[in-house]
Amino acid sequence: MSSTACFVIVSRNDSPIYESEVGTAPKKDEAAHLHQFILHASLDIVQDVVWNTNNMFLKLVDKFNDLLVSVYVTAGHTRLMLLHDSRNEDGIKNFFQEVHELYIKMLLNPLYVPGSRITSPFFDTRVRALARKYL
Amino acid sequence: MPGGAREVAESCVDSLNMELVATYCKRLHPTKPDLAGRRIEAIGYQVGLQLAERYTRERPRFTDHLESIKFICKDFWAEVFKKQVDNLKTNHKGVFVLQDNRFRWLTRISVDALPTTGAQNESAVAANAARASQAAGQYLYFPCGLIRGALTNLGVPCAVSAEVTTLPACEFNILVLKRVE
Repeated sequence: MSSTACFVIVSRNDSPIYESEVGTAPKKDEAAHLHQFILHASLDIVQDVVWNTNNMFLKLVDKFNDLLVSVYVTAGHTRLMLLHDSRNEDGIKNFFQEVHELYIKMLLNPLYVPGSRITSPFFDTRVRALARKYL
Repeated sequence: MPGGAREVAESCVDSLNMELVATYCKRLHPTKPDLAGRRIEAIGYQVGLQLAERYTRERPRFTDHLESIKFICKDFWAEVFKKQVDNLKTNHKGVFVLQDNRFRWLTRISVDALPTTGAQNESAVAANAARASQAAGQYLYFPCGLIRGALTNLGVPCAVSAEVTTLPACEFNILVLKRVE
């Protein structure tokens, strides 16, 4: 069963920290651009929704054709956004929580400047493994 | 950290703080106490940022500045200093004063008393108190940075200063900065 999924982490200053395609569908070049576009466009909606609730997991915030956007916001206003086409809410919630743990470990690195891009290949590998596990 | 949490002896934290102050204030910048203070505060800022992320992992997000400050007074203080802030005052215009009557990192500091003669007791006591607050103030740069880092990460840009009233009690003044549009 192949699924498309694109995962982006956006910092509190609206700069992208991490992006990757984590789905199991075969890669198509045009689709990658479209995924990024949809995720960035839904940032506005996230801004609105974020003040109405004090949950971290914002569930579904936006829909585009048959692609869904779910978002998880940390206390430091870092947004973890996932573009997906499945409806597995629990799996997505667990995925976000695990990536949040990974992100905190990344922050604890004194050599990491908060707000800069995450280029560590270990982080990338772990995120992909988590995506395979939960999504 | 959940399950099988590792622990560190508290004397390490005390020693680290003392050595931090000694290095920056005496060895590296003996003639520029402000610069030393700012550098220690910058270290505290980074640590506070990281600690805030860690401690807010499980709990719901904050809705306004007051909630963030209350989190600092209760949960954050309890995690870092093993107690809560004793008194929180605000003028509702962005100034908060946190009072801790027994600040953990100041409990091990003592100041040599000036020799007092009978007739000069009052001025000697006042002079002692002034010396105490000046010497102990250096040890409060790092906690100021901690608070500033934690609050800034939670979305409350602020400036934090501290003063020692009588050892080991101290006060932290938080001034919430308005964003320049």
